[in-house]
Amino acid sequence: MASGIWDTAAQSNPAGARERASHLMNRRLQTDENPVLADFLTPVQAAPACGAIALPAERAIVLSESIPAGTFQKKNGVRSTGKREQALTRDAQFIIRRNGEYHVIAESYFYKTEPYYTILSLEYEGKQVKPASSAVLDAYVTPICLERAKAGGVPVCEWGISQAYVPLPAILYGLSYYATNADYAVVKDQVAAKDRIRHITNNGKYPFCFQKFPEGAEVLECTAIFGKTCNADGSIASHASILYEIFGLPLVKMVFVNDAGSYSLSSLSPLRYSQLTEQERAILCAHISAQESL
Amino acid sequence: MSRLGIFVDRKTLSSAEQLNALIHCRDVAEGMGHNADFIFPVDIQKIAKMDALFIRARTDPMNVTYVAAKMAEFHGIPVIDDPRSIQVCGDKINMYSRLMKKGISLPETVFLSKKDLTVERVMELFDSLGSPLILKEPSTSFSTRVERVRDVSEFFRVARRFIKLSDWIVVQQYIESRYDWRVGVLDGKLLYACKYTIPSVTFKIQASVNGHIVYCGVESVRPGDIPPHVIQTGIDASNAIGHGLYGVDIKNNNGDAYVIEVNDNPSLESGEDQYYPDLYGKIVTHLFAK
Repeated sequence: MASGIWDTAAQSNPAGARERASHLMNRRLQTDENPVLADFLTPVQAAPACGAIALPAERAIVLSESIPAGTFQKKNGVRSTGKREQALTRDAQFIIRRNGEYHVIAESYFYKTEPYYTILSLEYEGKQVKPASSAVLDAYVTPICLERAKAGGVPVCEWGISQAYVPLPAILYGLSYYATNADYAVVKDQVAAKDRIRHITNNGKYPFCFQKFPEGAEVLECTAIFGKTCNADGSIASHASILYEIFGLPLVKMVFVNDAGSYSLSSLSPLRYSQLTEQERAILCAHISAQESL
Repeated sequence: MSRLGIFVDRKTLSSAEQLNALIHCRDVAEGMGHNADFIFPVDIQKIAKMDALFIRARTDPMNVTYVAAKMAEFHGIPVIDDPRSIQVCGDKINMYSRLMKKGISLPETVFLSKKDLTVERVMELFDSLGSPLILKEPSTSFSTRVERVRDVSEFFRVARRFIKLSDWIVVQQYIESRYDWRVGVLDGKLLYACKYTIPSVTFKIQASVNGHIVYCGVESVRPGDIPPHVIQTGIDASNAIGHGLYGVDIKNNNGDAYVIEVNDNPSLESGEDQYYPDLYGKIVTHLFAK
């Protein structure tokens, strides 16, 4: 075990930690100590006949065996990794391997981000990856997310697409590269709706997605980690499990509309590690360190 | 009687050329005994009632065209462009990766991540790929975020702009040519071919020069006048992506054909089909044959 990967100096400098981890991994490869890693770090593809192809080599690679043994402690009844949680820094990305599948853990899997391209690279290497690049796109494009969730048996909000008109009250989502599901809004009057629509459509340039919002309903946000929730209502926990089966997102914020105790999915969106509760952080860290008996 | 949905948006219809091409497409479909309906984003739920869908709006995995393609797929409706083609062609990192994997001839191509954007790495790229270099933001279309750079400072100026839109960018060897071949391929067969003549004031098919947009010339070319290796390269490149409708841009330099990109949703409204009058008929036939 290369304990130096997770030493204190590395933790205070996450970028340095990644470089150091990568260096140590490669050093181990050179000694042929670890055929699994050797396989993992194989370049994406061979160069074509026309010339040399180089892919960005840097990745935050944290395989399950990278965390030193014996560093766990109990927090709120959950086994946590103690100091190791500091690795959950903004934009940090982790790849773990479990049962022959690679799981890419990141705050956001948005199109054209580092995690998205990490997934794509692994797919081109022929690896089984969760989430898949196509699932990531589907999850973050609200109408597709809802259609797939509905097909999987999760109740979803009724949705439509518009350029301007929207029946009120409603939840609004942008529908373009420049929009993110994390930036949704519940609008209840025409003035607020008009202002919001102008914002999410870039002054009418793009259409948007709306969902009818029942009177008296409320929005509930809930985090799912590998399809599991902390202290969530039983039906939401069940929905989280199904959504993980469908999209394979290790970390996701689920937005539900609670209408008199009936929960309908509104969207899935990214979330920052800093938004996690202490308990959720501990669970995520345990997954990263491959504690399968959670 | 089968129903063809033609998915359009306001931008598509704002161009007279596009509008004429769409009406021509509708007339061809109706002439073949089908109904043809234009479907706008607000009518997206109508896709489920169609027997085939032809998307004629700018595609992107994050916009409404991707929703339309997926809706068609959910309902088992044949669609051009299919979601997979939109995902691959909409992102040049994905597209070039696919082409590389299939051994398609490309200009020397490197993907550069945000973290790799260092002076040392950029100097290495100039050393290995030569100067000038071409930088591309992965989701560029109509050459909007494609730039030619000649030195390190120019590289950084452009790359920093592109990196704001994508964590990875494309760096390519520059291949000089007066024109690009555009080989249109449908389901692995040649559909049409034309030359896009590059304006003398720029190196790309469309550019803003002194505040004015300059466009490439379009010259339809008969099948017998296209070099066979260009046709084959176009077919091979499109087969690497899928079995839909693609426009493959190829530079023919000293007898070597290099694929510059594979476009889903290729332009068909600028005279590309002059020598291919049955172009829309073949597309409609293909859609309903599925």
